[in-house]
Amino acid sequence: MTARRLTFKKGRLASGTTAYVILIVASILMVGPLFYIVSTSIKKTTQLFAYPPDWIPRIPFWGNYSFLLGSESLFLRWTINTMIVAGVVTILKVIIDSMAGYAFAKIDFPGRRVLFILILAVVMVPTSAVIIPLFLLVRGMGLLDTYWALILPPLANPVGVFLMRNYIQSLPRDLENSARLDGCSEFSVYFRIILPLVKPGLVVLGILTFLAQYTAFLWPLLAVQDETLQVLTTGVAEMKASIFTIDWGIVSAASVLSMVPITIMFFMFQRYFSGGSIAGALKQ
Amino acid sequence: MVGYAFIAPILFFFAVFMIIPILWVVFGSFQQGGIITPSEYVGMDNWRSVFGDELVRTTVKNTGLFALLAIPGVIVAGLVLALALLRVQKGEAVFRAGIFFPVLAPPVIGALMFLFVLHPDFGAVTLAMRTVGLSSPSWLGDPTYALPTVAAFEIWRGAGFYALVFLAGLLALPKELYQAAALDGANTLRRFWHVTLPLLKPTAQFVLVMATIWNLQLFDSVFVLTDGGPVNRTVTVVMYVYRSLFAFGNVGFGYALSMVLLVVILAVSLVQFRLLRSRRQ
Repeated sequence: MTARRLTFKKGRLASGTTAYVILIVASILMVGPLFYIVSTSIKKTTQLFAYPPDWIPRIPFWGNYSFLLGSESLFLRWTINTMIVAGVVTILKVIIDSMAGYAFAKIDFPGRRVLFILILAVVMVPTSAVIIPLFLLVRGMGLLDTYWALILPPLANPVGVFLMRNYIQSLPRDLENSARLDGCSEFSVYFRIILPLVKPGLVVLGILTFLAQYTAFLWPLLAVQDETLQVLTTGVAEMKASIFTIDWGIVSAASVLSMVPITIMFFMFQRYFSGGSIAGALKQ
Repeated sequence: MVGYAFIAPILFFFAVFMIIPILWVVFGSFQQGGIITPSEYVGMDNWRSVFGDELVRTTVKNTGLFALLAIPGVIVAGLVLALALLRVQKGEAVFRAGIFFPVLAPPVIGALMFLFVLHPDFGAVTLAMRTVGLSSPSWLGDPTYALPTVAAFEIWRGAGFYALVFLAGLLALPKELYQAAALDGANTLRRFWHVTLPLLKPTAQFVLVMATIWNLQLFDSVFVLTDGGPVNRTVTVVMYVYRSLFAFGNVGFGYALSMVLLVVILAVSLVQFRLLRSRRQ
């Protein structure tokens, strides 16, 4: 890819300077709001309304952060809830979807085509169009206000099955066939041969699932009312919505802290965030 | 037969949390009650009230207007950023991380950041404009500006993602074509228009369909930025579905409205698939 990239660059598409100007302006616009909210979060609320404004406070005020991380606030609880829900959904989804992807790619069974087309047809159904029955269904199961309410419904999303099917289909048949001749069961072919080979695919599916769960809002808003079961998105949004006078300092610090876990993960998995893996993941 | 064992888990979740809710919405749109009282068949009543409802028209108009601003905006921004990323050699990783940052932010958290930036008293934009002697309009409180401001937020949030998808598409193009076009003496703009753009069509199609499906479901950011206001200028269809359940408990109405959303999104994405496919041939 690097080699192609370099030659590509010689076939000038636009001048390099224009590209830098565009990217610098875009980066400032993209990250600017974060800098402003960081600067707000280390001000006392009275300083907030000062004019002329203190763009960078000379003496940082850490009170908002110590409140959120202290025992009076549920913020840490929400962070843990988010990590539990996103983590469990991610693990289950990677397992379930890779199993189904393997079956659809490599095993012949009656009804395979029909089932696959059925799943394909539903991919474009918007989830927000089914939230009312989903809410009533989960309520009927007695699962409202539990972790299960947050974990189980997202598992139905079938996009990952396509991703895994495409990855597995592109593998050569020789390996699995020789394993089968050696007497391996379908399960051990899947577990010992296929899974190690599609590891990059599993990681991409994992990242996309985790990000989707980390950012989810509408379903958690419906599924849990209990204060201690909120995730970061619902918890922090409620801070802004429910209190009579909004404590802007606390809200800004909470927003900053909510970005910390996902940003750490981004840098850990940065090489998987290349355009290639994401597009490959989403395209069929 | 062992194949069924492998697909059993996904089929189970798919049937329970996807197929049942879809059928439930379809049948529910012809029923009334069901939350406290038992449900009863009411024929087309819900549909009549959906099509006769003033606020439904407003939400459809708002959602459509928003989509018309945000979808082209996010696609053009994504493509421009991808082309720029392709051109730079130094600092590409830094720019990529910067541009991708809003994608990592949950919509509600990103929207909170925008609230701070646009706040009428202490927002960065307000203060910056005041410093140079301009008065800033109330971006989210003014009926004229509220919807475009929400669209601007969604462009901010989505551009980085589409930039990466376009970048992948651009990197996969055969470079020989460029060299041939360059030898023919085609200039940059013409090469982009006649060579790059047609080849990029599959990526563009994918991006267009994704952007449409996501943007027509706008909810999270509006919930934080305006909560539908001012004077219902930013209430979206999904927000009305949510309210029909929680604010006034009219589920039958909510089902019919959900069906409208479902049918519109499916129809629009199928049309997009068709149009782009036939043009490619």
